[in-house]
Amino acid sequence: MSANILMGEGLALMALGMSFVFVFLTVLVIVTTLMSKTIGRFFPEPPAPVATGNRRPPAPRQDDDVMVAITAAVHRYRRRHRR
Amino acid sequence: MEKLLTLWYGSGLYNLTLGQGVMVLVGLGLLYLAIAKKFEPLLLVPIGFGGILANIPEAGLALSAAEQAAHLARPGVLEQMAAALGVALDPVAGIEAWRGTLSDALHGDLSPTLVRAANDVAMDVGYANGVLYQFYNVAIASGIAPLVIFMGVGAMTDFGPLLANPRTLFLGAAAQFGIFATLLGAVGMSAMGWMDFSLNQAAAIGIIGGADGPTSIYVASILAPELLGAIAVASYSYMALVPLIQPPIMKALTTKREREIAMTQLRPVSKLEKIVFPLSLLILVVLFLPDAAPLLGMFCFGNLMRECGVVERLSDTAQNALINIVTIFLGLSVGSKLMADRFLAFETLGILALGMVAFAIGTACGVLMAKLMNTVSRMPINPLIGSAGVSAVPMAARVSNKIGLESNPHNFLLMHAMGPNVAGVIGSAVAAGVMIKFLG
Repeated sequence: MSANILMGEGLALMALGMSFVFVFLTVLVIVTTLMSKTIGRFFPEPPAPVATGNRRPPAPRQDDDVMVAITAAVHRYRRRHRR
Repeated sequence: MEKLLTLWYGSGLYNLTLGQGVMVLVGLGLLYLAIAKKFEPLLLVPIGFGGILANIPEAGLALSAAEQAAHLARPGVLEQMAAALGVALDPVAGIEAWRGTLSDALHGDLSPTLVRAANDVAMDVGYANGVLYQFYNVAIASGIAPLVIFMGVGAMTDFGPLLANPRTLFLGAAAQFGIFATLLGAVGMSAMGWMDFSLNQAAAIGIIGGADGPTSIYVASILAPELLGAIAVASYSYMALVPLIQPPIMKALTTKREREIAMTQLRPVSKLEKIVFPLSLLILVVLFLPDAAPLLGMFCFGNLMRECGVVERLSDTAQNALINIVTIFLGLSVGSKLMADRFLAFETLGILALGMVAFAIGTACGVLMAKLMNTVSRMPINPLIGSAGVSAVPMAARVSNKIGLESNPHNFLLMHAMGPNVAGVIGSAVAAGVMIKFLG
């Protein structure tokens, strides 16, 4: 008899526990999705574009500088060696 | 000659019982697994060494002052302790029987006030709590060590993959079925008369299936402290065995075509989402399950420190220095529970067997849930990531990735599997909260 009661309690705990875990995580899924959507709409990711925007300009600028320096150097070198 | 005899009677060799000898061997075995086989060395080294220390005869490192006094003290002190405990000592039986009666009384279920009184008597005559006993009280009995470790785990966890695909939380939920199936198994074993587990003990054993060391230690310390040693050893050894236990189950439950499913690239997750997520999880815990608040609260706190980006020093301490310090004390304290008279019981075998079953069922349920989700949802889901729903971060996710690569060398599942993996941590903490709510 007590064995049956024990089994019953175990089964009840299993059903309750499992359904609670599922309900809780389902609510978490809903909340997370809503949270992501809200943030996506009202606070659209500024950092990513800024980061790429910052990164791209320097590269060409640097190239230009280097190119200017190189042409200047080559120019000067040639001029000197012609004389 | 007499002095020689005293030395001999005081030696470990003279006093070593068979059980203690066996437990020293068990401790050495754990050290071997940790050092030679690299099974969770960070925990099994302290646990194995603590187990050896706890079984040194006569040293009583893992005993309280009262237990040591019951074992060693003069008859006068024994009488005082018996008076404090309210136990009758048979005057004819002799001193060895008295020691036995007192030890039994201290291990039995007397009220804590009486035990404390006996402890005071023992301390008055100069006995002190063993060092491992102190560690256990400070680190585990108070519940602090598992919680601090959980904070560190939170500080190490990246919720990005989970946020990019929140539905993987369902996989973490499904894998918790292992916990409850094992609980039922433990209850069933007692109902059949094979073992003698109470409902509380069954619940503490079930949590092994959550594959989460700190969670199972936390639950065991609340629901069934007497089984803590076996439960901790089982959960950490099975976490180490994840790469051996999971793959056969995963392969048996999936077809080759399912294993080859490629998943779509995860979307990038903004920093703000990562900051808000631990807070919204915390609010849900507050609203629905305050009993999980110690575990998930510390977890969320650790994660917020990581993601907010303004307390790098605190986050760094939580995930490195602090977690390491606490791990040392946690391991030694768990080792102190590997004392021969409590660990060498038939129940321990039952716990080890049930823990294995818990793991297997959790893995299987995760995989089956992933298959179900794959048939229902538009986005393809590779069933292999379901097995990562049992926590064991990041081992389970690596196993998913490895099996995925075996079927399709271009299929990298690691990031996809990290989602269910951290969902499993949340799921097992929620399951722990439910158990504590109903049984604690």
